[in-house]
Amino acid sequence: MSMALYHGNTQSSEAAKMEQIITEFFAKSRQIILESRCPHVSSRNYSGEQMMSSPSPSSSSSSSSSIRGRDKWFNLALRDCPAAIESIDFWRQSNLEPMVVDIILVQRLSDWDPMSYSPRRDLVRNLSGKERFQNCWSSEDDEFGCDMKTEKIIERWVVQYESRKGGRDCSSGSKRSIAPSLHTLYKKSILLLRSLYAMVRLLPAYKLYRDLISSGQILTFNLAHRVSSFVEPFTHREESEMQQFEFTPVETFSGRLCLSVTYRSSLLDVSSEPSTPMTPQFIQDYVGSPMADPLKRLLSFPVPQGSPCSSPFGRRHSWSHDFYTPSPPSALPSPSPAYSDSRASISKPSSHCLPPRSLPRHLPETPQRHKNNTNLDAYWPSIFSPSPSTSPPAHLPSSHKSKALLRSESAPVSIPASKLGSTPLSNNNQILPRSPPLKVKRNSASKTQRSSGLVQTSTVDKLFSFGKYENKRCSGSSGVKLSSNSSPQKSFSRSSSKLSFQDDFDDSEFSGPFVVDDDDMADRGSRPGSFDQRGLIRDPLEPRGLFQVRKSQDAAVAALVHVLKRAPPLRQDISNSIDLSPSSSHVTLTNPTEERNEKSELRVQSAVISVASPKTTSAALEELRGYREMKDLLLRQKGMRSHTQAK
Amino acid sequence: MNCEVCQLKELEVEHFEIREVLRCILHTILFHRALGLVRPKDVDLELFEITYVQCGDVELEKKIDEKIDQFIDRVEKHPNKKNQICLSFYEEKKQAVWFTNRVERLYWEQWYINLNVAQQPKSHSGKSHYSKVVVDPGESALEERSHRRAALEASLREVLFQIIKFVNEKKDHVPPIPNLEGVSFLYEITIPSSSDSAFGMDMFKRMLQTGHPTMLS
Repeated sequence: MSMALYHGNTQSSEAAKMEQIITEFFAKSRQIILESRCPHVSSRNYSGEQMMSSPSPSSSSSSSSSIRGRDKWFNLALRDCPAAIESIDFWRQSNLEPMVVDIILVQRLSDWDPMSYSPRRDLVRNLSGKERFQNCWSSEDDEFGCDMKTEKIIERWVVQYESRKGGRDCSSGSKRSIAPSLHTLYKKSILLLRSLYAMVRLLPAYKLYRDLISSGQILTFNLAHRVSSFVEPFTHREESEMQQFEFTPVETFSGRLCLSVTYRSSLLDVSSEPSTPMTPQFIQDYVGSPMADPLKRLLSFPVPQGSPCSSPFGRRHSWSHDFYTPSPPSALPSPSPAYSDSRASISKPSSHCLPPRSLPRHLPETPQRHKNNTNLDAYWPSIFSPSPSTSPPAHLPSSHKSKALLRSESAPVSIPASKLGSTPLSNNNQILPRSPPLKVKRNSASKTQRSSGLVQTSTVDKLFSFGKYENKRCSGSSGVKLSSNSSPQKSFSRSSSKLSFQDDFDDSEFSGPFVVDDDDMADRGSRPGSFDQRGLIRDPLEPRGLFQVRKSQDAAVAALVHVLKRAPPLRQDISNSIDLSPSSSHVTLTNPTEERNEKSELRVQSAVISVASPKTTSAALEELRGYREMKDLLLRQKGMRSHTQAK
Repeated sequence: MNCEVCQLKELEVEHFEIREVLRCILHTILFHRALGLVRPKDVDLELFEITYVQCGDVELEKKIDEKIDQFIDRVEKHPNKKNQICLSFYEEKKQAVWFTNRVERLYWEQWYINLNVAQQPKSHSGKSHYSKVVVDPGESALEERSHRRAALEASLREVLFQIIKFVNEKKDHVPPIPNLEGVSFLYEITIPSSSDSAFGMDMFKRMLQTGHPTMLS
C-alpha cells in the first residue's frame, strides 16, 4: 500500500497519517509490554535506581512530571523505557513486518556452581544475538553470566499490521464510505492500547516481574525479552501449556491492526520457588542483621539448594553489606576493589582477569543509565518525529522514497536518508555502540561506590580460584613500563586487580606501598582478610584453625580503605615511572606510532587514577624530546670536534 | 445512539473487602474510558495480588471513594445480600422543549458491578462457633479464609478480564474523544436501590430506561 495508491491530496495525507498511527502503535505497544516485563529497564524499578544510579541530573525521574511529545501519542504518557525505544526504527521502516515480543523466563539451575564460572563469552553471544533479534540489553545476561540456566518463553506478544491486498480494487468513493475515519482509527487504537496496558498487568508474568523489581537482585529466575520480526513456532507441548488472547483488531482503510498474546497460564513452579527456601528467622540471628535493610534481607530469599549463597549463613551479612549498599554507611569496604577493577577493565577489557561476576551488577544499570542520557535525550528525537506533540499525524507532501507504507514520510521532520535506507542490521549498529562492554565498565568506574560490593565478591572468587599463581602471572604480564619490582604499579596496572585486593586485606602490609613479593603471596592464604572471604564462598562451615584474626577483618578492610583513600602512591607512581625511566621512553620516541601507543596507554591508566596524569605524561615527553635534541646536539658537536681534530 | 450494558460477574465479598474490590473495578473501567491524556498509575491491592491501573486523576479518585462510602453505607443499612453499583457514561444534549431548555442525558454505556456481600456478623459468629467445636479452631478458619480469599482473587481477576474483553469488543458506540485531559467523558456512579426480591426487576427496568434515554429525564 503505497501512497501512489491513493489519488488526491486528502487521501494521500490520510494514508500518511494512518501510517504514522500504525508506526506509533507499534512503538507504544512495545513500550507498554516491556515497561512491565524487563526489570532492569523499567522505571518502576525505583529501588533499583536508587540503589544503582548516580545522582545524574538527566535521570528519567526528573523528566517524569512533564508530558513530552511521544507521550501524547494515544493519550498515554508512559515512563522512559530505553529498551522499548532502541530498535523500534526497524518497524518504522517496514510496518508490514510483525513485531514479536517474547518474554523469556530465565532460570538459574540449582546446581549452579560459582567455581565453574567461565569468563563471559555470553556477552559476545548476546551481541550477535542482538543483530539477529533486534534485541536490546536483555536482562538474561545481566543476571546470569553463565550457561547454567534454562530459558522458557512465557509470553509472546504479536503486533501485526495485516494489509488488505484487495483494498485497492474498490473504487475510492465507496471505499471511503465504508472505511473508518482517521479519528475512529485513532480512537480505537487508543482503546486497544488501554486494554493492552491493563492486560499486561493481569497476566501471570507480571507477578514475576513484580517479584524481580521488589526484591532487589538475587532471585533464581529472571526475565529477559527478545524482540524480533519472525515467529519461532512453539512446540506442541509448549502450545498445550499456553493460552491465547486476541485483542479485537482495529480496522483501517487498508488493513487491520492486530494484537495478540500467547501466555503461559501457570507459572506456579517458578514463582513459588523464590519464596520457599528460607524463613527470615535465620537471618535475624546474624550480627549486623540484614533484616534492618529491606534490600539486604532479600538476599536470603531466593536461594536455590546448594547455591553459593545458601550455605554461608554465618557470614551473610558481610556479603549483603557489600552487595546491596550503594554507599555503605561505614563506606569502608568498597572503594578499593572497585578501583582496581575498573582499572583492570578499562585497560584490558577482554582480560580474563576481569572477574566475570562483576559484570552482572553493572550491566543492568549502567547501560540503561547510559541510554537514558544519550538515547533518550539526544538520540531519540533524531529518529522519531520530534514534535508528534503538536498534531500526531503530520504529513510531508513529497514522496521521494517508495517505502511500502510510507513510514518515514509521515514523520513531521525528515529523517536522514542514511537512516531511512539502512537495513535493520545497520540500525542495530547504530545502537550497539552505545553499550559496548568497555563503555559500560568505564561507566561503572565512575560509580565506584555503587558497584564495589559486587566487584569485591567477584574479586574474591578470583582470589581463591587462582591464588598466587595468578598473581605471578598477572604481575609478569602487567606491563612494559614496569621497570622495577618495587614499583607499586605492579599491583595496580591492568590485569592485576586481584593483586591489589589481596594487598588491601593485609593491614600489616601497609607500611610499604603495595609491595608484592612471592613470599608474601604464599603467605596470603592464611591471612585473615583473604582467608575469611575465601571461606565464605567455598566452604564456610568447615572449621579452620587460622581464624584467630578473623575479627580483624573489618579492621583490615578499614585500613585498606584508609590507605586507598589517601592512595598517593598511585599518581606518584605514574609520574615516577615516566620521570624515572627517561631512557626507555627515549627509545620509543624515535618511533612515532609507538609513541602514540604508549601515550594512549598511559592516558588510559591515568584517566582512572587522576586527571592530572596526562599532563604529566606529555610534559615528560616534551622533556624527553628536549633531552634528545640536546643529545643530538652534543653528538653533532662531538662529531664536529673529532672531525676537526682529525683534520 | 445505542447504550451498551455490561453486567459484571457477581463477586462474593466480605464487608471489609468491598472498598478494595470496588476501587479496583471502577478505576479499571474508568481507565478504559479516560481517553484523554492520562499518566497511568499502577496500584497494588492490599488484599489481593492484583495490580490495577488508575488514570492518575485525583478528583476522580475522590469521587470514586465517595461513592464507595455511600455504597458501604447502603450495605450496612440494608443488609441485602445482593448489591449493585452502576457506572454510566453519557453525553449531554441541550433540548428546547416549549419554553424551557432541558439538558438531556444520552447514555451510551453502563457497567453493573454486582457484589454479594457476606452477612458479616452472622456468618462470622456462626463460623467461629462451628470451628470451636472442631479440633483446631484457628487453623481451619484460617484455611477457609485463605481459600475464600484466593477464590475471590480469581474471580476479581476474571472480572477485570471481562472488562478488558468488553472494551475490546465494543468500540463503535464510544463517542468521539473530546479534546480534554483524563476522563474525557461524562460519567456518573449510581447505587440502584434494590431489594432481594426486586433485584431482577429493577435491573430490567434500568435496561429499559437505558434503551430509551429520553425517558430518564
